[in-house]
Amino acid sequence: MRQLRILFSLGIVWALIGQAAGAAAGLFLVRAIRAAANLPPSAEAELVIAAMFSVFGSLLFSGVLTDWLKWCVGIETPLRHGDPDGLPAWTRYFSVDYNHKVIGIQYGVTSIIVLLVGGILAIIFRLELSWPGEQFLTPESYNTIFSAHGIIMIASILLGVGAMVNYLVPMMIGASDMAFPRLNAFSYWIAIPSAILIMAGMVIGDGWETGWVGYPPLSTIDGSPLGTQLFILGFYFNGFSSIAGAINLLVTVMIMRAKGMSLWRMPIFVWAAIATSLIQFTATQTVGAAQLMVTTQRVLKLGFFDPTFSNGLGWPAGDPILYQHLFWFYSHPVVYVFVLPGLGIISELLPVYSRKPLFGYKWVALSSLGIALVGFLVWAHHMFTSGMADVLRIPFMLATLLVAIPTGVKFFSWVGTIWGGKVTFETPMLFVLGAISVFLIGGLTGPILGTIPTDLHLHDSYWVVGHFHATMFGGFVFPFFAAIYYWYPKITGHMYNERLGKIHFWLMTPGFWLMSLGQMQVGIWGMRRRIYDYDPALGIEFTHALITLSALIIGWSVLIMIYNLITSSRTERVAAINPWGSRSPEWQVPSPLPEFNYYRPFEVVGEPYDYGVPGSVYVRDVPAAGD
Amino acid sequence: MNYKRHLVIASALVVPVTVIAYFLIAISYKLPFQGSAEAVKIDVMMQAHFVLIAFLFSLVAVLMLYGLVVFRRREGDDGDGDHIHGNTTLEILWTVVPLILVIGFGIWGVNLLNELTDAEAKPNQLLVHVQGQRWSWNFSYPELGVNAPANERAMVREVDDPNDSNNIDLILPVNRPIVLEMVSIDVLHSFWVPEFRVKQDLVPGQTTYLRFTPTAVGNYKLGCAEICGGRHAYMMATVRVVSEACFDQLVVQQLPLAEADASCQYEAMPNYPDSAK
Amino acid sequence: MSAAATHHDQAHDHADEHGHAHVPTYLETLRANRLGLWLFCISEVFLFVALIVVRFALWGNTRPELDQALGLATTSVLLISSYFMVRAEVAIAHGDRDKFLNSLLVTFVLGVLFLVGVVGFEWGLFGITFGDHELLKPTDGAFGAVFFGMTGIHALHVVSGLFLILMVYINGRRGGYSTERHWGVEACAIYWHYVDVVWVFFYPILYLIGTPVH
Ligand code: HEM
Ligand SMILES: [Cu+2]
Ligand SMILES: [Cu+2]
Repeated sequence: MRQLRILFSLGIVWALIGQAAGAAAGLFLVRAIRAAANLPPSAEAELVIAAMFSVFGSLLFSGVLTDWLKWCVGIETPLRHGDPDGLPAWTRYFSVDYNHKVIGIQYGVTSIIVLLVGGILAIIFRLELSWPGEQFLTPESYNTIFSAHGIIMIASILLGVGAMVNYLVPMMIGASDMAFPRLNAFSYWIAIPSAILIMAGMVIGDGWETGWVGYPPLSTIDGSPLGTQLFILGFYFNGFSSIAGAINLLVTVMIMRAKGMSLWRMPIFVWAAIATSLIQFTATQTVGAAQLMVTTQRVLKLGFFDPTFSNGLGWPAGDPILYQHLFWFYSHPVVYVFVLPGLGIISELLPVYSRKPLFGYKWVALSSLGIALVGFLVWAHHMFTSGMADVLRIPFMLATLLVAIPTGVKFFSWVGTIWGGKVTFETPMLFVLGAISVFLIGGLTGPILGTIPTDLHLHDSYWVVGHFHATMFGGFVFPFFAAIYYWYPKITGHMYNERLGKIHFWLMTPGFWLMSLGQMQVGIWGMRRRIYDYDPALGIEFTHALITLSALIIGWSVLIMIYNLITSSRTERVAAINPWGSRSPEWQVPSPLPEFNYYRPFEVVGEPYDYGVPGSVYVRDVPAAGD
Repeated sequence: MNYKRHLVIASALVVPVTVIAYFLIAISYKLPFQGSAEAVKIDVMMQAHFVLIAFLFSLVAVLMLYGLVVFRRREGDDGDGDHIHGNTTLEILWTVVPLILVIGFGIWGVNLLNELTDAEAKPNQLLVHVQGQRWSWNFSYPELGVNAPANERAMVREVDDPNDSNNIDLILPVNRPIVLEMVSIDVLHSFWVPEFRVKQDLVPGQTTYLRFTPTAVGNYKLGCAEICGGRHAYMMATVRVVSEACFDQLVVQQLPLAEADASCQYEAMPNYPDSAK
Repeated sequence: MSAAATHHDQAHDHADEHGHAHVPTYLETLRANRLGLWLFCISEVFLFVALIVVRFALWGNTRPELDQALGLATTSVLLISSYFMVRAEVAIAHGDRDKFLNSLLVTFVLGVLFLVGVVGFEWGLFGITFGDHELLKPTDGAFGAVFFGMTGIHALHVVSGLFLILMVYINGRRGGYSTERHWGVEACAIYWHYVDVVWVFFYPILYLIGTPVH
């Protein structure tokens, strides 16, 4: 009985119920209206409305809208905080909660779960590709699985970015929470039904076959599977999460920094979070517009991207390449959303483990902004073979090459930080170094894609696959894991198992190198992207088998981490307050932090990374109470 | 701390490591056979990129590893490192040097691209019409007024992929500039023969062009490089680059393969990239 | 459980086992809210500019034949509604509640009229045409897609604006706003003006620029 009561107190349970109920309501509504209007049933319309209702239902039932709905009718609601009344403390992690640390954990755990789902999909299609010929998948299911892998991993990365930004930024700047706690919860709780829509797309309506890019006409042509629509809508609703989260973060950083924390005295991660948010709250809108256009084209036959229209009067038809512009205007900058926080983590952790100030703080901070801004001017480098005019290709080529410069600044600053330090090699540091090595591979294989003549060979080959896996692993996955290990003692109060952490590292890093270097090799030899089977004549079978093998190794190593994280919190290994000797404010107080992060407000009185200056501190308590 | 000395040693190490790295790249990332005049020019640029990759990789990797070894914490020492905040000269150096490199590659890229896409009609050039559809290719020669002949490959050739559903080969004369004029009747496709190095999408509703000059007789594989649905992987066709005489027999005169010269048979021609590796 | 109330007259910090919570003053909250709303407006600019870019990419220098009188009428109605919104905001700032509520009501009615013009007549829901040209259909290639897409997205914003006005009206009647404290009114007004300004760009782009194709 009590178990049942607890189960039905959980927001996540209600979110799922709400999603199902919303879907049913939407379905019924469309059927009823179409029947009443004597229209033939339309699976497409039913699906779209059901999907939209399902997202709304999920939000409504989870309770994340409750406060706002009350405001609408003039009821004021105090901000709920602390453990829930009459329920075990852990239940707050499964329900709507407004505390940024709880939301950060929710994001993080969801991110890892979604990462596992995406990883399993990857293993499935890697097994298919281990040998040439048809193994156990059909071409259609192969297409669905690799497409889902792509977009699910992106969802996972966005959740992981949400986790780091949410958990760390308020803590680092000395705020007790984000500026808009309810909006913060909303950002998380809308990501859930969106992810579910995407996954549902794999099962309902025969999956889809467009890859994560969803190019029309393949995504809009008659007879394209219904799953395409669910993927598009899931992608679309996830955008709300990005936009709301980014606005929230920007306001938080603008007005809630501790006394004395000028821009140049913020922890470097905060700079990365700002750059990320600047991209997220703007560029996301254009891909949202593109997804809406695809949806209306599929359901209502609006011909945005349909080149076949003609009524004999000279009226213009749609243009499929237009979609690519709208899509990449978001999706190029978003790759920096994926990596900037991770690069921020690298810059944040290196000084701690090198016992030395971050080399060129201002340059590193500005390089994040530089990458974010230049990132807006290069989107068409994904379209060099699309058939757009040369007058466009050339400026995009030049701008693309420019991105290499701020990226280079980061690398050299990292090297500069290590030189002259006293470096130690705990697991988080290992992952930071792994991240640098992997991101180096990713970054170096970029410019060859940026010069058009060489891209004409490499575009849509496995070289690109190798390139972007290296950037995303180096820029997100490795730093994310580093961050998890690093802040684990602060979050749980316990120390993770160092040995398992090291095993994880020594499996995953060589495994990853093998995988991405192999992908690039088969690519340059002629392996096309997104194919279900390949020509044995290319001589790439051995490398493909190796790639599959390394994918399995990476998969197992991640499971080791998860095991480590789960078991370590139950052990007796209580962590010291500041096991890493960091100067950051959160490490000066006992773990875990209280609800509002600090018992007394602090003020910033020094530089964040002044290691090596005896007696200097970064923050100290504000002397008297009150403002 | 004697940084100068360390810097000199590390920099000295960068040179041999660069050489080794380039050597490894050159053998593991050997480019496919050069089947077109364009491939030769593009490969020069590819190699330049490889050199740059080898150098930058070695630079960062050596400095990094050297730093980690030399500046590791010794047993029993729990002090901090040197208090160095940065160095503006260095920062400017590693902003400006890459900038110059980037500008160099940019100019090179623009010039080479202009060469590759030069739309001026060349003497002797051949226009070929390419039509993509899910999941096969169609070729015709508008200037000659003929379609590419349906092939009898099943009888004559075993080099082919059994799953390749295309029954039309693209036959091209060697050493003549080719202009492909390409359309798609359904979704996006992309024309890619790795040995030719160039690639171009086929876009419904518009005509796109691809220019290259095949330089070696042989059988090549054309694959669709833009996801186009279910059997995208099998949207392949054979490209046969043949001598001018064979081209005349097979395409202009439309002789059945059996009646054509023996040198025009499939077996008479090398297969790439097989023979290249 | 210690509950931090949302409204405190004085900045009042409290510390307990939950740690130190800075409870923001009304002015601090106001500042955050304003910033948030403006950022949201900037964010939406990217949506509307994307639509405008699509319009120019697909239509180029042409446009479909639309009812000019209707376009002018709907645009004027929306502009006038913005005037009444200003009037409402000024009224509440001066404590004149009746004027505030009346002006809000007028704004609402004008907003609905705008929708009737665009969605009702221009979209042909009522099946009435004024000029001698046929109504544009959504399936009419790029003309249909862009026109219905742009007006549709804009109408969606108008509808949400109307919803906000309704909320503010209901709350206002209950006395939910005072001379000093009426962030709800301000937010609603900013949003409404914003939607209005967007239309000021959309109108010429859809109705005036380019040569009509028959
Ligand atoms: C030195 C900097 C970089 C340069 C010059 C560069 C250049 C390029 C180019 C030109 C492409 C298109 C290749 C093609 O499809 O033909 C590409 C693809 C890609 N890049 Fe980068 N890149 C750089 C860094 C990054 C970073 C930091 C990320 C972060 C994650 C990234 C993520 C991606 C992704 C995800 C794709 C593939 C998208 C897709 O087609 O699905 N790149 N890169
Ligand atoms: Cu990009
Ligand atoms: Cu194809």
